[in-house]
Amino acid sequence: MVILKLIQSLFNTLHSEGTPGQVAAGMALGAFLGLTPLASLHNLVVFALILLLNVSFGGAMLGWALTTPLGFLLDPVFHRIGRTLLVDMPALTPLWTRLYNMPVMPLTHFNNTVVLGSVVFTCAAFVPLYFLCRVGIDRYRVHVAPRVMQSGIYRAITASKLYNAYRFFKPQ
Amino acid sequence: MSAPAAAAPARVGLFRWKAVIPLALFLVLVVVLWLVFADRLGKLALEKGGTAALGAKVEVEHFHIALTQGRLEIGGMTVASPFDSLKNLFQADQLTADIGILPLLERKVEVDQLAAKGLRFSTARTTSGIVPSKGPSATSQIMDNTKSWASQPALQVPVLQLATGKLSIDSLDPRRLSTVQEAQHLVGRADSSRKAWATAAQGIDVKGTADSARAFAARLQHASPTDLAMINEARQQLDRVNQTRDRLTALQKSITQGTKDLQQGVAGLEDARQRDYAFARSLVKLPPIDATSLGWVLFGPAAVEKFQRAVYYTQLARHYMPAGMLPREDPAPKRVRMAGTDVRFPKEHALPGFLLREAQLSFFLGQQPQAYAGTLRGVTSDPALYGRPTTADASAPGIQAAALLDHVHPLSRDTLGGTFQNVSLPELRLPSLGIRLAPGGGAGGGGTVGFGFTLVGDSLRGHWTVSTTHAAWARDAGATATSQATNLVWQVLSGIQQLDVTADLSGTLGAPRLAVHSNLDKAVADRVQALVGDQVKGAEAKLKAQVDAAVDDQVAKAKAQVSALASEAAGQLGAQQGQLAQAEKAIRDQLSKLTHGIPLP
Repeated sequence: MVILKLIQSLFNTLHSEGTPGQVAAGMALGAFLGLTPLASLHNLVVFALILLLNVSFGGAMLGWALTTPLGFLLDPVFHRIGRTLLVDMPALTPLWTRLYNMPVMPLTHFNNTVVLGSVVFTCAAFVPLYFLCRVGIDRYRVHVAPRVMQSGIYRAITASKLYNAYRFFKPQ
Repeated sequence: MSAPAAAAPARVGLFRWKAVIPLALFLVLVVVLWLVFADRLGKLALEKGGTAALGAKVEVEHFHIALTQGRLEIGGMTVASPFDSLKNLFQADQLTADIGILPLLERKVEVDQLAAKGLRFSTARTTSGIVPSKGPSATSQIMDNTKSWASQPALQVPVLQLATGKLSIDSLDPRRLSTVQEAQHLVGRADSSRKAWATAAQGIDVKGTADSARAFAARLQHASPTDLAMINEARQQLDRVNQTRDRLTALQKSITQGTKDLQQGVAGLEDARQRDYAFARSLVKLPPIDATSLGWVLFGPAAVEKFQRAVYYTQLARHYMPAGMLPREDPAPKRVRMAGTDVRFPKEHALPGFLLREAQLSFFLGQQPQAYAGTLRGVTSDPALYGRPTTADASAPGIQAAALLDHVHPLSRDTLGGTFQNVSLPELRLPSLGIRLAPGGGAGGGGTVGFGFTLVGDSLRGHWTVSTTHAAWARDAGATATSQATNLVWQVLSGIQQLDVTADLSGTLGAPRLAVHSNLDKAVADRVQALVGDQVKGAEAKLKAQVDAAVDDQVAKAKAQVSALASEAAGQLGAQQGQLAQAEKAIRDQLSKLTHGIPLP
């Protein structure tokens, strides 16, 4: 059922709900959940932003789903980035030392090489990712969406009543 | 059908206010889940973290954290020994800790007071508590290093030398025996002498002289007293006989001397035989057993085991309580995704990541119901931040134990020590012999165990003593004596009740030196040497028989040959002397008749 709902969400997000900008912003925020280790405090903040900001929730879920495998693949890169920042750049040590001894900050696991590396990478990739998604969604809606909407599978999925539950979070 | 993108909304707000309530509900859900699962998660974290840190199972029956009261309660904690699979390092009935709440926001654990009740050490367990390492970890690395340390040649016990306790006997080659060579030489000399003497005897021609003299004596019967020519020839014949006798006498002297030399050679064969016996004895190799090495053999493994544990725990403490203030990188806890490494950034005047200020320990010893007390202070992940060393002490009637781990300064100093009087002795195994000192130190009571260990930098100093007057020895079930020596060690030990063992460790981690002594060393060494002495005697007798068997024939042959030669020569010379004497007598008798008794001028 959850999978069905996700598929509904995917199609509806891509086809009509929200502007391409909202969907792209949702996907870029969802990339945080997928690219960085999920059980981290910063992802609670990201999740709150996905809910509170008027971005596409489905887009966020889509971004999360698409980037999770990528996160696993890029973990060695994240580790290398994080290690460079935490260990190999002594100029940053005072900053990390201050953060490490501040309340709450250590709970974010920023001192973990993979966490820091993935957060830095995702932050850097956020804006390019946003524009990339926006262009992609524009083109999808023009060229691909009409044919998908004609298919029987699409009709069957959107007919499900679970679709209604999803609509609560659709962009305004 | 028109494209959906064509119907874009005119303007949208930044916030989705209607999601505030679901978000709040979500946060409430997180809090509820925390309240429900915090204890389980804490228990899991303690068990997993403790197991990973120690290399042995850490099990907790009850875990409760009351954040609002700043209290942590742990019940039924069992920590397995990383060395004995079926023993626990300790068990605790109840641990209650007062923890600081605000430091938790900095991901730091500060325990002001810890009360540990019902501690029991070295208790038995039914399942193995050793956790094999599934990958490279600091703990497994330390364990590997410690095992490597204990397997250094300087700490290896020559168990096999005592376990076999056998003589080594090289094979005896008869060709290398001097008696055989000398006997063969003597036989050769006898043959040569016989030939030389025969040639010399032929050169003297005793028979020809005697025959000529006798023939002349016969002619002389018919000579007239005035026949001066005959008389003159008679004188010449006598001179010839005398000359022959003189030569024969000279030959006789030579033969006598030669025979004497040969007989001396025969006598020298006995000396050669003694030398051969000595050579045969040199083929018996004694096992290298002496009193000093026996202490090593008997108690070395037990001493190394004690010191190995001390090295492991101090190294573990140095890893988790490192000296210095520099950022430190450690492998992060495992997760589904790559774990990476955690880097710690200690800061001066800040709280350490973990700090246990003081713990009051209440423990039991053995089966005694009485509880004893101890104190532990200053356990911290950053000693340099805390600024004071970790100390522990415990005392009870007859018991004094203390530890000091000073990692405040760059050069770490770790000291552990204790004296335990009238306590049940730990089981002391002599694995190479299948013998053990039964736990409890015998029916009469316990003994005294002392232990001291200091590691400064990588310089070692250790001392381990065991003393009892009620030693009770037992043999492992199924143990078989691998040698008479092993059997003898068992016979000696089983009759000895007074035991004093001392092991001293010194040197460095890379080059340790261990000396082990006990009062059993000399007793066992004497008995083992006695056993080896009997074996030596048996081996020598066997080799002597081999020498005799190889030598006797040759010696007998040489003796017989020399003896026969001597008697033969004496007989021949006697007969020849007789022939000459008869010939001379015949001439002189005829001359006397011819001259009517008037002697010739």
